[in-house]
Amino acid sequence: MSGSPANRGGLLGWLDARYGISPLIEFLREKEVPVGAHSMVWYFLGGATLFFLTVQIVSGVLLLMYYQPGQDTSWESIRYIVTQVPFGWLVRSVHCWSAHLMIVSLVVHMFSTMMLKAYRPPRELTWVTGFMLFSLVLGFGFSGYLLPWNELAFFATAVGTDSVKSVPLVGDWLLQVMRGGPDVTINTLYRFFALHVTILPILTIGLIAVHLLFIQRQGMAPPLGETRAPRGIRFFPNFLMRDLLLWLVCLALLVTLALLFPYGPSIPGFEWELGQKADPLAPAFPGIKPEWYFLWIYQLLKEFPPHLFGLEGAQVCLLVVIGLMLSWTLIPWLDRRARRNEPSPAFTDFGVGAILFLAFLTLKAWDIGGNAEATADGLPDPRAVAWTCAWILTALAGAITVLRIIVFQHRWFVLSGCALLQAVLHGLTGLSYLAAGAIAAAGGAIVVVFWLRRTGSAVPTRHGAEP
Amino acid sequence: MAEVSPERHTRRSFLDLLLSVSVVAWLGSVLYPVLRYLKPLSLPGPSGPVRLTRAEMAKVEVDKFAIIPVGHERLLVFEDPKGELRALDAKCTHEGCTVRYVARDALIWCACHNGRFDLEGRVLAGPPPRPLARHSVLRDSEGAITVSLASA
Repeated sequence: MSGSPANRGGLLGWLDARYGISPLIEFLREKEVPVGAHSMVWYFLGGATLFFLTVQIVSGVLLLMYYQPGQDTSWESIRYIVTQVPFGWLVRSVHCWSAHLMIVSLVVHMFSTMMLKAYRPPRELTWVTGFMLFSLVLGFGFSGYLLPWNELAFFATAVGTDSVKSVPLVGDWLLQVMRGGPDVTINTLYRFFALHVTILPILTIGLIAVHLLFIQRQGMAPPLGETRAPRGIRFFPNFLMRDLLLWLVCLALLVTLALLFPYGPSIPGFEWELGQKADPLAPAFPGIKPEWYFLWIYQLLKEFPPHLFGLEGAQVCLLVVIGLMLSWTLIPWLDRRARRNEPSPAFTDFGVGAILFLAFLTLKAWDIGGNAEATADGLPDPRAVAWTCAWILTALAGAITVLRIIVFQHRWFVLSGCALLQAVLHGLTGLSYLAAGAIAAAGGAIVVVFWLRRTGSAVPTRHGAEP
Repeated sequence: MAEVSPERHTRRSFLDLLLSVSVVAWLGSVLYPVLRYLKPLSLPGPSGPVRLTRAEMAKVEVDKFAIIPVGHERLLVFEDPKGELRALDAKCTHEGCTVRYVARDALIWCACHNGRFDLEGRVLAGPPPRPLARHSVLRDSEGAITVSLASA
């Protein structure tokens, strides 16, 4: 105890005498990060996300010094920031790039947590709070998108908010509360502004505190099959120094991208040119797309027919999205094998299937292979888009599967196979997306039933190194 | 003891119930004004007829269509290939984007999800679940155009 703050004197000793911080210092000394079968890289993604969030707060506060919400000031003040204010363009560029990089690192963090089954007991609530944080971050993206009050933001918000009218019972009330009226107007911007700069930050910071508290109390998840990692490295200073180094790399990457591409990489859903001011009396123009992380929902809305099962297509689509989100949230309770600290290849495959499902819809939303110049109406040909995207997905799925077989010895491919089969049936045979999905799901169910009857187990018993 | 215990239990249960109801009522009294505050007032706007301005009429002349605000609604006023004026809801029935008249193909088109309607507002293709409502539009002898929310 010779090194304890109380005995050391100085500032730490002074603080310890008044606030008893010795246990905290001891905790930091003892804290270890598990080192196991998988790469340490995955443990750094939460920290990287936190770094980008910090950049968001700092750059957001700087933007607030000049931004003025209002019918005649929102678009004008952003234009003033990027054209007149010294380094205003850089601050906005950093804010936008950091937002996208934060979502990228958050998505990778979430999928790595999922694949490594870090959600297994006793860390179920860490997963749930993490997913809630992911939803809040999407809320940040959606609310911030409208603030420049340009044409693209106006229609993207009109479509995005219109979906909530499908919510049973409270849909209309929710729509009016979100928009501040029946339509998207400047009242909508006032509400989104309040959401973006006060409500969401308060909720996010509170939830991050809870998320981090859970992690500090329970430590980071050891590799599957272990209750305690065979070895670890000290959090302080060894892991923290690595974390800080990564943050420096993130900052360098962020500033480089912000300098080289101040208005984004010009990919639909991944650009922030100010463009024309919003005009509620102008018709929507071709090529309107939401941000890249909402593209899959945008495309899914297109795939539903006007009516299905006695409901409007958009309502059924909303129910499907809610169902998917709910099942994603409940994974820690659905994955019974992981609850017993055993490998659960079906859920690993669920994660891969989710990636393929999202990738196909996103590729389609980008109209890849649509060849709009060659069509009579100047619009991308949906059949050609589906065909091209199906081939790209086949190549992607093939590469992932080979990697899984050779490197990770995976043997369970039913769900990822369903996602691929749906894309192939839809893209290469011309079946509708939903019909192809139904056939793929039925095929997957038959394979599972057949396997169950043959082996008595839903998954192969020889897992190799599969988590 | 056996006789006293149920009585105590009942009194405690009653107090617990009273406390629970009070908490719920208190929460309700706090939340209700907040929820009412959040829902904007629905102010009934004028339902027409609205006379098009010179700029709007010039737009109809040049672009063959214009979006006209009438009360809280937006109407698409356009001139069909026979030169007749028509007015339809400008809000797509799918996700609420503003539609446009495509004179070349003689159809109404929503760019957001590629919904297509005929000149009567009926769905031709794409995800819109309902037709666009038709509204009354008139051109008087002096060429002035008036539009109203009344059904055509």
